[in-house]
Amino acid sequence: MTARVLLLVAALAIAAALPSLVGEFWVTLLTQIMIFGLLALSADLLLGHAGLFSLCHAAFFAVAAYTTAILQVRHGVSTALAAPAGILAGTILSFVFAFAVRTRGVYFILITLAFGYIIWGVAYRWASFTGGDNGVTNVPFPAIGGLRVAGPTQYYYVVLVAVVLIALAYRVLITSPFGLTLRGIKSSESRMRSLGYDVGSHLYVAFVLSGLIASIAGVLYVYYNRFINPVAASFPVSLEAVLMAIVGGTGTILGPFLGSGIILVLRNWVSGFFHYYTAVLGIVFIVTVLFAPQGIMGLVARWRAGNRGEGA
Amino acid sequence: MLAPPGASFALFLRSFMSGVILQAINGISLAALLFLLASGFTLTFGLMRVVNMAYGAYYLLGGYIGYSVARRTGSFELAILCGGLTIVVLGFFVDRFLIRPIGHNHLAQVLLTVGVAFVIGEVCLAIWGGDNLRVAIPPWLRGGMELPGGLFYPKYRLALIVLGTSTAILLWLLYHKTHIGAVVRAGVDDREMVNATGINVDRLFALVSALASFLAGLAGVVGGAFLTLNPGAEWDILVLALVVVIVGGLGSLEGAILGSIIVGLLDAYGRWLLPEFSYFVLFGPMAVLLLFRATGIFGKEQ
Repeated sequence: MTARVLLLVAALAIAAALPSLVGEFWVTLLTQIMIFGLLALSADLLLGHAGLFSLCHAAFFAVAAYTTAILQVRHGVSTALAAPAGILAGTILSFVFAFAVRTRGVYFILITLAFGYIIWGVAYRWASFTGGDNGVTNVPFPAIGGLRVAGPTQYYYVVLVAVVLIALAYRVLITSPFGLTLRGIKSSESRMRSLGYDVGSHLYVAFVLSGLIASIAGVLYVYYNRFINPVAASFPVSLEAVLMAIVGGTGTILGPFLGSGIILVLRNWVSGFFHYYTAVLGIVFIVTVLFAPQGIMGLVARWRAGNRGEGA
Repeated sequence: MLAPPGASFALFLRSFMSGVILQAINGISLAALLFLLASGFTLTFGLMRVVNMAYGAYYLLGGYIGYSVARRTGSFELAILCGGLTIVVLGFFVDRFLIRPIGHNHLAQVLLTVGVAFVIGEVCLAIWGGDNLRVAIPPWLRGGMELPGGLFYPKYRLALIVLGTSTAILLWLLYHKTHIGAVVRAGVDDREMVNATGINVDRLFALVSALASFLAGLAGVVGGAFLTLNPGAEWDILVLALVVVIVGGLGSLEGAILGSIIVGLLDAYGRWLLPEFSYFVLFGPMAVLLLFRATGIFGKEQ
């Protein structure tokens, strides 16, 4: 336990020192990795802990981002109000979409996919409000009172602090009785039901919390990206979030961030010399499913079990 | 100066009514196309419990192949045949070597087949580029014809309705009136039992899968002649097909027929009356339906 705490402190120290060690390109990329890692973490609350495969998390992400951007850019609302409003809007949406937990399995996958398309369609077609294809541009860096973020490096620290706080809260959540109940539902819903747990309410609350985290990621994203367009709400974003969680390892906290790092570094690297990045992404999907369904964290766990002589 | 209010209202009513009728035919012709794609998806799900998200990409690739064949040979019929058969071969390899090893895990199936769709989509982009392409319509289907009531309507779309309807009837007969259909229906209800009676379920699966693939490729060619073929079209059409099977009920042929008609009409009227919210018109009712009946109209509880 103390070893893990030490490791965590060391990792945080490195994360805090990184901007002075690497160039601005990497600082920007790392910020992006943390934001999408957070989105992947939110999807993994459902996937890794409740066993529900959601394909609509880009919706909360985008609604939060659009709300914040529209308030801040068009109505001149300050960050102190626009950011919470964005998170609120995304979370309210998740209260509605959370009714999807009435379904299971393939129906849940397909209904959330359709939900995601509604939001994408509205963002794309309702051009008078959302700006259509062009979206909302010229989002400023966040500023609260006299505190003003001046550049990518400072924003990196804002995102780092937010991500660390959320990861800690997330840890409390998944080790709480609530989190353990979710795990129970994942491994056997009928058993939990017969033990008297209200399965539906637990899944509903988990869905809303998941939407809340995705909304926070959305607000962090809009201040990072400085503009927002319908691409953020599109199906590939939801899908990539789930893939990141799976590549890194579902049911863990580090996994989604690892997965986000792998996918985004891969994208940056491949795009440099190969035009057809999506094909590479597709191959990553296929390889992951066929050869590493438990992700990187699963491989690590297997390797450690092997070292202790527990491996089969 | 101004026409009397009664006359202008009559004029409005007249143009509105012809709009209603035109959109109904638009909706039904889209329904015919969606049925071709959705029937394959729903049958393979019903029989093999496979969620194959690559059907959209099958549609697009089939369409592109049809486009090239039609350009070279000028034959629409040959285009349909080549588009369909290419997808049969491709679908066989995807089923046999990628989907089968992972078993009945829907999550893994979705991820894997989306990966396949991404690869196919990028290959198409590399070969056919990013422009909007359209399969050449055979001369005898070009132009419009007059419908009773004085409306002009493209012949091709009417032909599509005929094709969709006859495919639906043939599939229905195959499914309900033949020996193969009986075995497939038995397989949908209880695969192990069918296997135990000595029927080669593997061969049956391959047969249904080949039929579904052929329909997807065929849909791409006939759809590519009135919708355009372009990168991203595979997801647009797949999502519509998914709504069809969700509304109708996964695994049900009747559901695919009814679902196609509902989705086709909702899409046509949604685009016409509420263009900014047409996706909402399409997905909203579906979401409400699913909340009350999670398995769709004809779906069976699992």
